[in-house]
Amino acid sequence: MTTVIEVPEAEPGIVAPRSKSKAGGGLGKYIVIRFFLIIPTVFILVTLVFFLMRVIGDPITAAQGGRLPPDVLAQRIHDAGYDRPVLIQYFEYLGQLITGNFGTTITDRRPVVEVLTTFGAATLELSINALIVALAVGIPFGLIAAQHRDKSSDAVLRFFAILCYATPVFFSGLLLKLTFSVWLGWFPVAGRASTRTELSMSSLGAPSGIYWLDALRSGNFAALGDVASHAVLPAVALGLLTAGVFLRLVRTNVIGTLGKDYIEAGRSRGVSEFRLVTKHAYKPALIPIITVMGLQIALMLGGAILTETTFEWKGLGYQLVQYLNARDFVAVQGIVVLLAIIVAVTNFIVDIIAALIDPRVRY
Amino acid sequence: MALKKKALHGVIALAGVSALALTACTGPSGGGSSSAPAAAGPIAYGTTDKVTSLDPAGSYDNGSFMVMNQIYSFLLNSKPGGAEPVPDLAESSSFTAPSEYTVKLKSGLKWANGHTLDSKDVKFSFDRQVAINDPAGPASLLTNIASVSTPDATTVVFKLKNANDQTFSQILSSPAAPIVDDEVFPADKVLPDDEIIKAKAFYGQYTIDSYKKNELVSFKAFGDYKGVLGKPANDEATIKYYASPTNLKLDIQQGNIDVAFRSLSATDVDDLRKDSKVKVLTGPGGEIRYITFNFDTMPFGTKAAGADTAKALAVRQAVANLVDRQAIADQVYKGTYLPLYSNVPSGFLGANESFKDAYGDNGKPSLDKAKKVLADAGITEPVALNLQYNPDHYGGSSGDEYAMIKEQLEKSGLFKVNLQSTEWVTYSKASRADEYPVFQFGWFPDFSDADNYLTPFFPEGGFLKNHYNNPTVNDLIAKQLTEADKTKREADIKDVQNALAKDISTLPLLQGAQVAVAGSTVNGVDKTLDASFKFRLGTVSK
Repeated sequence: MTTVIEVPEAEPGIVAPRSKSKAGGGLGKYIVIRFFLIIPTVFILVTLVFFLMRVIGDPITAAQGGRLPPDVLAQRIHDAGYDRPVLIQYFEYLGQLITGNFGTTITDRRPVVEVLTTFGAATLELSINALIVALAVGIPFGLIAAQHRDKSSDAVLRFFAILCYATPVFFSGLLLKLTFSVWLGWFPVAGRASTRTELSMSSLGAPSGIYWLDALRSGNFAALGDVASHAVLPAVALGLLTAGVFLRLVRTNVIGTLGKDYIEAGRSRGVSEFRLVTKHAYKPALIPIITVMGLQIALMLGGAILTETTFEWKGLGYQLVQYLNARDFVAVQGIVVLLAIIVAVTNFIVDIIAALIDPRVRY
Repeated sequence: MALKKKALHGVIALAGVSALALTACTGPSGGGSSSAPAAAGPIAYGTTDKVTSLDPAGSYDNGSFMVMNQIYSFLLNSKPGGAEPVPDLAESSSFTAPSEYTVKLKSGLKWANGHTLDSKDVKFSFDRQVAINDPAGPASLLTNIASVSTPDATTVVFKLKNANDQTFSQILSSPAAPIVDDEVFPADKVLPDDEIIKAKAFYGQYTIDSYKKNELVSFKAFGDYKGVLGKPANDEATIKYYASPTNLKLDIQQGNIDVAFRSLSATDVDDLRKDSKVKVLTGPGGEIRYITFNFDTMPFGTKAAGADTAKALAVRQAVANLVDRQAIADQVYKGTYLPLYSNVPSGFLGANESFKDAYGDNGKPSLDKAKKVLADAGITEPVALNLQYNPDHYGGSSGDEYAMIKEQLEKSGLFKVNLQSTEWVTYSKASRADEYPVFQFGWFPDFSDADNYLTPFFPEGGFLKNHYNNPTVNDLIAKQLTEADKTKREADIKDVQNALAKDISTLPLLQGAQVAVAGSTVNGVDKTLDASFKFRLGTVSK
């Protein structure tokens, strides 16, 4: 008796590595090059943000420009060191960054690292929730659209995908809020949790900042329910943004796979269409999604800024807007550096995955 | 085929379930459309203000001062309902010489951490404010203090640079004057919030129980408080911070918070007035909005083409005759601002309506008067007026406000207005660098005294640097500042306003009202909406 192992056919153009040793050598060099590309990427962004923030003005003027005589204002700007040559400030800032010192925010006097850790957890939580929504909506709908190719249900789903991607997240967020919070009253208007839950979180010994995790850890299921109800609308608003991309990608790839010989062979053997789609066609179709998922991180973070502001979700995006309005250089630079690192590292990981899947992308 | 479809529908259902899994076993907890106020539990207060620092030396903004008012005390403070400073930590206070102000402290005061609160803390508090002189702090309010001495544990003597400063009692209850624990706070730098909280360096109606900066603060009543505010009407309170006024509005409507204060938009307030689940409460406001004329660069100004002082005055008078304040207050601000007819807003000692008496038709615009003043000055052509406003610092309705002013002026046929706007940082500098001939500005008082609307503005152009300088006005301002007799001082303040209305260095437009929204079963908010502009959580109950 022989055992037949079914290997799903690879995507067009994807060739399995022939020799481990060859691949390993190329991959090692490739990883090193990609890793070192992170540094200039982050550096360029830090530089851009630094100089752009100097263009939009200083925090002292932003806060007190309407109250102080010009000479007093100038003195205060001088005392704070904002009137020194910009290049000197820039190199000082770079020096601090290299030593891991992100500085202290100007407008609310907190260490930037504290801001990043406190609010980063909230953004991470929102991103995870949104990703769940994106996958839960994008993949099944993509499969359905592929199976009903060129039928009305396919057209509707394709239109839905475009709508998801094209609708600004603040607009869809407001629409969701208006419908489900204001009119129907199903979900809270804003925030990450009710005041009572927030206070119970504060009393935890060392909260992670990811509310559902903290609620689970403390066994507080009432808090978990409260946190979940607050999480739905922001997660849907942000998740739908990416869901549209996933939907179209799954559809395209599944359609491509459904035309393959081994699928035709399956059909001729009487395997049901549903089984063909869900068991055989979708697996190879999901490979590009992994790559795209990484690339969507930047979109997700951009969307998070608007989503967090719309829903009072106090994460990094929310804080970034607050600090931008106050012209708080230090805080904005710190947050942008972190976001840049996240995007760069994510892309780095995606590049490695892509290189593992398809050796041709290696240099 | 049917089976296939069923299976596919199963996949859809599964997706739906996955997406909704987040909501499992949830309902709107403290949210949703519940219309009841946030029932039992702490008084929940919501605001869009932000905290800069809980150290009085490190901040000078409404958001920080709101929290400070709950956890610190002052030598003098005002009781809810008034703005007159009365002893708080003090037992008594008075001028003991023209340049000497003496305060006797209550004895036996203890900070929440058990440290002794005495004259040492008081001297330390004022000395460190001046020493630190933080760019974001209020040390500039203490410029009249020459020295602080402490003859004994309950006596503090302030030596003043300028004698008989009638605003000094207000200074002692201002954002520069919360008393801090000398055993906790450093003398030369601002203390981070977390360290203040950890050290329990509080002496006010409340102590802070938990603190997430600009997210959520929770307070517990402080049992050993012996100040003028007395025992709070509640045992616990919270402050929740919002970025969006809309979310603040929705949360008060849905009963997620008990009180919403600073800052709801005029449209939201108008909408909330129609909502039976909440009540909109108003109190006197100290905020003013006005137009500033640059005496050098305005039409016919001393450095403008065709410089002519009489014509420049006629232009200012014509504008004063044409502006319809009531229309702006009603149509743009929906009653959240009121017409302002003087440089000193109503509610302050000596406030009058000098501009109402001098211009327009009893508060309404007067085209005839405007035409006459221009004709008398020999101005026959429509005056080109470059009018600047800022769209992002004085609220989102500034654009509507100034569009209306442009319309009012142009409708007369006497002006051709070129309306321009600039973002704040550039605007605030350019406006005082002679770049704008006529421009918008606003003001919120440092302390509740009429002088705070005079001294910073007018002597030698004040902080506006608009080249206005009238020695008579300067003398009148100086005179009222040191006049100890209240009746005489009131008359002096009226004289200043009348003189200012003749010159029109600035044209007062609107006076803001304090607007708070409370749940229908929440009481006591009205008690704290007074001319002290201090919100005291201790007055609120439900």
